[in-house]
Amino acid sequence: MSVLAELAALPGVIAAGEYSYRGDRFSFKGDLDDEQARMASIMCRATTMSVHMQVDILNDFCKDCGLNPSAGWVVRGPGFTACAYANIFCFLDNSSASLNDVMGLMRRRLRDRGDELI
Amino acid sequence: MIRRALALDGVTVICRFRDDGMLVEAYGLIAQEQMAGLAKFAYEYKRIVQGNADQLSMFTQVAGWTPPRGWVVHGKAVAVCSVGNLVALINADEGNVSEVMRELDDLSHY
Amino acid sequence: MPDLDRLMELPGALASFHFSDRGQLGDYRVADGSPLEKNTLDMLCHMCVANTCIGTMQARGWEGLTGTKGFYPIEGFTLVGFEMSTVAVGNYGVVLRNEDADYQGAYDALAGQAS
Repeated sequence: MSVLAELAALPGVIAAGEYSYRGDRFSFKGDLDDEQARMASIMCRATTMSVHMQVDILNDFCKDCGLNPSAGWVVRGPGFTACAYANIFCFLDNSSASLNDVMGLMRRRLRDRGDELI
Repeated sequence: MIRRALALDGVTVICRFRDDGMLVEAYGLIAQEQMAGLAKFAYEYKRIVQGNADQLSMFTQVAGWTPPRGWVVHGKAVAVCSVGNLVALINADEGNVSEVMRELDDLSHY
Repeated sequence: MPDLDRLMELPGALASFHFSDRGQLGDYRVADGSPLEKNTLDMLCHMCVANTCIGTMQARGWEGLTGTKGFYPIEGFTLVGFEMSTVAVGNYGVVLRNEDADYQGAYDALAGQAS
């Protein structure tokens, strides 16, 4: 089973998607239309690149302390949460999703993806 | 060629970087290592500005923002200006950001 | 309001901190043996504020275009680093070891909802 299918099957996961680091391709599973998935991919890619640079800068303050390189991020709103790990993202319904289950699955399946393509 | 930017008031460093962020050439008053750091920052910041400009276009449905031609980060004492693959460091109270951006735009075409 | 000492009781907590709306570090706690120093936490705070702002911009744009509600306003930002993560909600944050991180618990504690 693909990681997108696994994520999309978790309770409360509205959609899971994958974008290319170059920004020219995306795929997804779940309750988004194509245009929404394209927008979500653009947003998540932009945040991933931004966080990657920030953590790179942060590394100058604490060399090899365990933050660098960045692996992912989460933003939480009152009803929904967006999270990303490597080049995979998920939109969650806060009322029914377990953030820990989603992040745990992402970490297990994606931790070996390097950052050299960012 | 890019060295001529140092003739502008307030410009202390000028660098050109590759599309992968590596420093190509640099002139100015800071150490080579710091110039490489400035180039890397400019490369990554350029991609972030590009990403945010894409989102601005997407959300507002207004054309004209992308692709961004350059950016300026203005601090209290210094400013960083970039156009294309060029980045300049200027003393904010001595330099004129508009002049620097015009010069960078001109130099970026060579 | 979250208590910094109570936040240090979260599983794998390496640091807890308060920061201003502009990202300046205020009061903080650091666990014994933690590699985090004051200037690192200050930088981390600035980063959390920056990304909360970016997320807020994205939530605004997303809701405006799609008509969905529930992302805006962004309440929290989490960075998942290589071995540790930081979770920030409002003006408080905590750094956790990834292997022990309870993201939901951290959110709840930071939002002042912990029982």
